[in-house]
Amino acid sequence: MTTPYSFDEFFATNKEETVSPFLTPDSRKWGKYLSVRSALFAGFLLALAFVLSFYSTPASLAFLTAVYFLAGTPALINAIHDISNFEINIDVLMTLAAFLSVVIGSEMEGALLLVLFELSAAMESMVEQKTRSSVLSLHKLSPRVACVIGENGFLYEKALADIAVGTHILVKAGEIIPLDGQVIEGRSYVNLVHLTGESQPSPKTIGDEVHAGAGNLDGTLTISVTRTSGDSTVNRIIKLITQAQDAKPKIEQFLDRFGKYYASTIILLSLSFALALPAFWGLPYFGTEGGVYRALAFLIAASPCALILATPTAYLSALSSCARRGILPKGGIMLDAVSTCTTVAFDKTGTLTTGKLTCTALEQLSGPPLDPTVAIAIAASLERHAVHPIAEALTAFAETKKIQVLPVENFRSIAGYGLEGTVSSSTSSYPAILGQREFIQEKSHVALPPADQMATYLFVKGSLFVFYFTDTLRTNTKKVIADLKKNNLRMVMLTGDHASIAKEVAKKLGIEEVFADLRPEDKLAKVTELSTEAPLVMVGDGINDAPALARATVGISMGKIGSATAVDASDIIFIHDDISLLGWLYKKAHQTRRILKENLALALGVILFATTPALLGWVPLWAAVILHEGGTVLVGLNSLRLLKK
Amino acid sequence: MKSDHFEGKSVLEHLKAARAKGALAAAEIHGSEMPGYLSAAADAARDTAVVLLLLSILLPHETTIFFLVAGGLFLWKIGRSALLGWARLERLHRVIEEERWEIEHARQQEREELAALYQAKGLTGKLLDEVITVMMADDNRLLHIMLEEEMGLALEVYEHPLKQSFGAGVGVIIATALFAGGYFIFSPMIGTALTITIAALTVAKLERNRRIEALIWNLSLVAFVAGVIYFIKEL
Repeated sequence: MTTPYSFDEFFATNKEETVSPFLTPDSRKWGKYLSVRSALFAGFLLALAFVLSFYSTPASLAFLTAVYFLAGTPALINAIHDISNFEINIDVLMTLAAFLSVVIGSEMEGALLLVLFELSAAMESMVEQKTRSSVLSLHKLSPRVACVIGENGFLYEKALADIAVGTHILVKAGEIIPLDGQVIEGRSYVNLVHLTGESQPSPKTIGDEVHAGAGNLDGTLTISVTRTSGDSTVNRIIKLITQAQDAKPKIEQFLDRFGKYYASTIILLSLSFALALPAFWGLPYFGTEGGVYRALAFLIAASPCALILATPTAYLSALSSCARRGILPKGGIMLDAVSTCTTVAFDKTGTLTTGKLTCTALEQLSGPPLDPTVAIAIAASLERHAVHPIAEALTAFAETKKIQVLPVENFRSIAGYGLEGTVSSSTSSYPAILGQREFIQEKSHVALPPADQMATYLFVKGSLFVFYFTDTLRTNTKKVIADLKKNNLRMVMLTGDHASIAKEVAKKLGIEEVFADLRPEDKLAKVTELSTEAPLVMVGDGINDAPALARATVGISMGKIGSATAVDASDIIFIHDDISLLGWLYKKAHQTRRILKENLALALGVILFATTPALLGWVPLWAAVILHEGGTVLVGLNSLRLLKK
Repeated sequence: MKSDHFEGKSVLEHLKAARAKGALAAAEIHGSEMPGYLSAAADAARDTAVVLLLLSILLPHETTIFFLVAGGLFLWKIGRSALLGWARLERLHRVIEEERWEIEHARQQEREELAALYQAKGLTGKLLDEVITVMMADDNRLLHIMLEEEMGLALEVYEHPLKQSFGAGVGVIIATALFAGGYFIFSPMIGTALTITIAALTVAKLERNRRIEALIWNLSLVAFVAGVIYFIKEL
């Protein structure tokens, strides 16, 4: 049986034909990277046209016609759209310059302009498509339906949109909680790692609040809905991401504004020259010495080919270099943004730490002395039957100590509480209970002080043990922080974990500023505050980091451990989770910015140098074109320097 | 029951109109009986064969003209087929967007439409209510149902416009090759007849129509067109 088509991706990608519900799955691939492939094919035809121009002009022109069809038609459509919206921008200027170049017999240059222009637009749209999917993973996380408990206890599925506040819903073990609500029956451990960054499963029982998107681990919960789907935690995070993305300062906005003024000015100047030159200097209107001819030459010489190439070629080279290192920025503009940042904010769990729990120690709190090796064996034997992060950490702890697990009888998992069973060794049998503080207190009748770090308790034959857990620090993290500090960068830690745990980790790493106990909205508020003070890089991995990653000047996420939402909401992804590359990225970003400035200066210089002689008729048109195209080549070669690792 | 959503029509009238809208969105004025790359290939091959046959009647010795026209037809058929395919896709995507909007903003009316559809299938009373509730539970599933049941559209059945245009290009090449073979060896009529035969049989098979009838009608039509043009030229 095939999986039913899901419309989410189709709408999230703004109705991309590569995911169209009407196309056969096999034929959808025909639409993949279509604009890039079309631009590259046009480039290939242009190369053929250029070679053929030395042998047969008609053959060359036939291929050029195809180039104008493939690259010119989309440019023409866009230009007409822009003009109909009363918008004169670089797109309009480029299209006008390319098509007018045919009029003055420079069709090859016009075609080159169109091909490069289309290629750059196609790559821009590819990057845009990737960012559009940012919310899709959250939609996937969020269930579409909930199991509603009817009046007579009758269970039925209902769309989340149709569920009102106060409705009772049932969530079984292993399911995602569909709506925010309050537990009215049942008990279970709930995994909040994607919502709060907490690695430790949280026990939930009657009266507790649970949030949409959290995973229900081991028990069945009956929940009274407290927020409708539009108002749920996951939906609020989606809104936060969208708002943060919209609020992000964009260099493109500046370039667009500049482009609009530049294009309008050049077009107006060309028109003025076409009329003024014959009127004031007595030139004829038409002919190779005419005002119209010179005005067209000016328009083509001023067409910002090198200017437009200056940015994408530099970014592409830098991006290629980054990709070889396992860094994936979503667009070169992000590298530029990194170079402006003076603050680096880190999430803790999953970013500075691996997100996996490690059992660090055990301590006997009371009762008759018992060999710690036996306590570890008993705890690991019980946890072998469970699936929590704590269970993994305890069994790994026993393995590293080379302690063998023992057979367990009468095993019972009490959802949201802990485990119990009788562990048998060759000499004795141990009835034991293992779990959270309240559970052990209730069973052992021993008062336990609250632990200031992650802990689980074992009660066996009157002996009470506590096992401590901590996140594992990533290797090299301390060195990375130290290196970044040398560049006068301000280091900050933002985490959803408790202050005591966060401060301990920060101390080990040399981070002075710590903000703990932060919910997603608190993290977003803190990142907004810090970004207002100075441009900020945010490094994170969880769904709870997603709004902050989207809001930060630059969001960096971990590719392997990171949640899909965080990866989508971020601007740069470390594919191999290698945080030690942060220093390298910072240097590469500065180099990119420097080369970008050189390129822009070169491109503007060439335009100034080529347009004036072309206008005054001091330089023949072909020389102006060579100057113009020469500038383009120089810009391209300069950008290639960024390819170096 | 009438409402703004139904534009003054009853639910059943609205469903009829929706079916018509779906049929319009899925239609492709392509000159071929069915969309798809095989159909596009057959259609382009038939057109090319007829045009080349007429040229061979009117300009029997202008070989270069035949191949230039074939080249032009090749580019035209590829481009035209792709454009028609994209136009259809745009219409279908618009329909899906409109239906999603209705599901999100006019749930009660969508419920009434579903009720009318399934009443027509014989469901009534509590069973009908339960079926409708289950269908309304999942928006993804509901959109799927409304597209298929209300609009009469089928999902995942159309070829990508480029794949379809590729078929059209192949059709022109095959027709030109067969024409050239017939022209240089026996007679242009042989190549044209072969192309028409292959194209007519392919389409008849795709549509599960009677093949012999389809073949004879197509060949007769070509013979009729060619004959009329030949004798008019001889006037």
